[in-house]
Amino acid sequence: MIEIKNIKKIYKRGAEKLYALKGIDCSIEKGEFIAITGPSGSGKSTFLHIIGCLDSPTEGEVIIDGINIKNSKKKDLINIRRQKIGFVFQNFYLIPGLNIYENIALPVLFSRKKNYRKKILSLIEDLGLSHRINHKPHQLSGGEMQRVAIARALANEPEILLADEPTGSLDTENSERIFEIFRTLNNKGLTIIVATHNLDLAKKAPKVFKFKDGLLVK
Amino acid sequence: MTFLKLYINSLLRNKIRTLLTLIGISASIAILFSIFSFNRGFERNIKKETEKTGLHFMIVPSGCPHEVASLILHGAVSPKFLDMDITEKLRSFREIELISPIIVTQAPNIKYDRIDILYGIEFSILKILKPYWDIEGNIPTNDYEIIIGSDIAEHYKIKIGDTLNYKGVQFRVSGIVKRTFSQEDAYVYISLKSLQKLLNKEGKASAIGIRIKNIGDLNKITEDISNKIPGIQIVTMSQVVNSLSVMATSAKILSLSIAIIAIIISAVGVMNSILTSVFERTSEIGIMRAIGASKFDIFRIIIMENILLSILGGVIGILFSVISSTVIEKFLKKFLFYLPSGKLITFEFHIALVCLIFSLFIGVVSGLYPAYRASKINPIEVIKT
Repeated sequence: MIEIKNIKKIYKRGAEKLYALKGIDCSIEKGEFIAITGPSGSGKSTFLHIIGCLDSPTEGEVIIDGINIKNSKKKDLINIRRQKIGFVFQNFYLIPGLNIYENIALPVLFSRKKNYRKKILSLIEDLGLSHRINHKPHQLSGGEMQRVAIARALANEPEILLADEPTGSLDTENSERIFEIFRTLNNKGLTIIVATHNLDLAKKAPKVFKFKDGLLVK
Repeated sequence: MTFLKLYINSLLRNKIRTLLTLIGISASIAILFSIFSFNRGFERNIKKETEKTGLHFMIVPSGCPHEVASLILHGAVSPKFLDMDITEKLRSFREIELISPIIVTQAPNIKYDRIDILYGIEFSILKILKPYWDIEGNIPTNDYEIIIGSDIAEHYKIKIGDTLNYKGVQFRVSGIVKRTFSQEDAYVYISLKSLQKLLNKEGKASAIGIRIKNIGDLNKITEDISNKIPGIQIVTMSQVVNSLSVMATSAKILSLSIAIIAIIISAVGVMNSILTSVFERTSEIGIMRAIGASKFDIFRIIIMENILLSILGGVIGILFSVISSTVIEKFLKKFLFYLPSGKLITFEFHIALVCLIFSLFIGVVSGLYPAYRASKINPIEVIKT
């Protein structure tokens, strides 16, 4: 489903070259649940951004469902992002002022789909947020906010869920609950890639990628 | 969930800032709307007022410029005089229905230590000349009676039956003209004969107003009169209207420049406000990009916030200037030398539309840069975990 061929990401700072990724090869099959671990600065986030079409590799190729990202136009990349990819971040990044329903419906708005209300409502129910539907983000607990963010990531029915430190701001109980949700989603066929510092949780994933200094070591 | 909801949400996030920006736009659009309608009202009311005189053209001494000729009708003093013999010659034109000689002059009012404007007319045709006047008391029946405008009456605290003294002659006030909201309120109306005597200009007039039976004959008759009577000049009412408008041109240009400056300032205000809110929301905008918004989506969201704010400000501004038109008119009247009577600022749909288009323009122009900046926000730079 995702094929990654020797990708490198190089940032230039003056004359100095910084390697965020030094050449990564791997392939990810549909329905896999992968945890990416590694210290800060090892390239986990960059790797997720590249798979999520938010960033492009300096060298190498990324092929998602047969589409080579390198040769794709910006417009096509946006469509890939809208149709196939859902993102979850450590700091949730819900839009203040919008209620929970509106926050979750936002990606659907951007992808110009219609008649989505029922689906959003069932997502809200699945994630146990029905009682919060009209609340604003600041009224929610961290765990609830992250569940809203997951619901938002799922709103466009993506094939891949990318989560960058999703439990970084949560306590153990909530972290486990989030992982539980990931596992349930994975059982329904969703491909999930989670970058995390939390090794205990990473162990629960069927497959673990270990990053170190921009390289995939295991 | 709609885009509209998204725009409104952003504007409501910082209510004070949005309110302050709104006040800026409303004020500038209110100025623009007031000036546009004032100018419209100015021309409309000059026309109405000129039509109200019941005259079709004026005969003035030749060499008298149009501007002065126009003002004579509205009370300015001209140093040149016509010979009243002309009226005899004019009577031979069958097309003429009414001949009204006029003298306008200034005379000291020693008792009140002021200079009054004396307007000499034949009282016998007063009803025809000023049909819209509402007179308290009576029209003078002899040459030693006068009627006065309401401003004079108020200022000097004069009642009917009191007297005013000009150049040693006593005149009894027989009537007071109720407020017309024009210069007429400040005039003293005196019989033509008495004024001629006071000035030692017997048999003279500043101007002669003419009404003809059939307006279709206007061109023919003015040509005939100019050919047959030497030493005169004819100013038609449309020329009067024109020259009065031309005289107001500089005031119009000045006021419009003020409006344009106000608009530029408010546009900068809107831009500043939206730009600040873009900077505050960088991570939010970044996340929108990450969850599927294109650069264009972001551009559109920001520029629509601007447009919404500007149009709302425009609507408020228009409403404000319609509601407070009386105060604004009083203010503007201080700066203009001549104003026709009647209400000048009224709601006119197409002026409102022009002002709304201006607000839209403010919104688009001031929104371009903030929207461009927002669309350049790179999601991976703002989303740090």
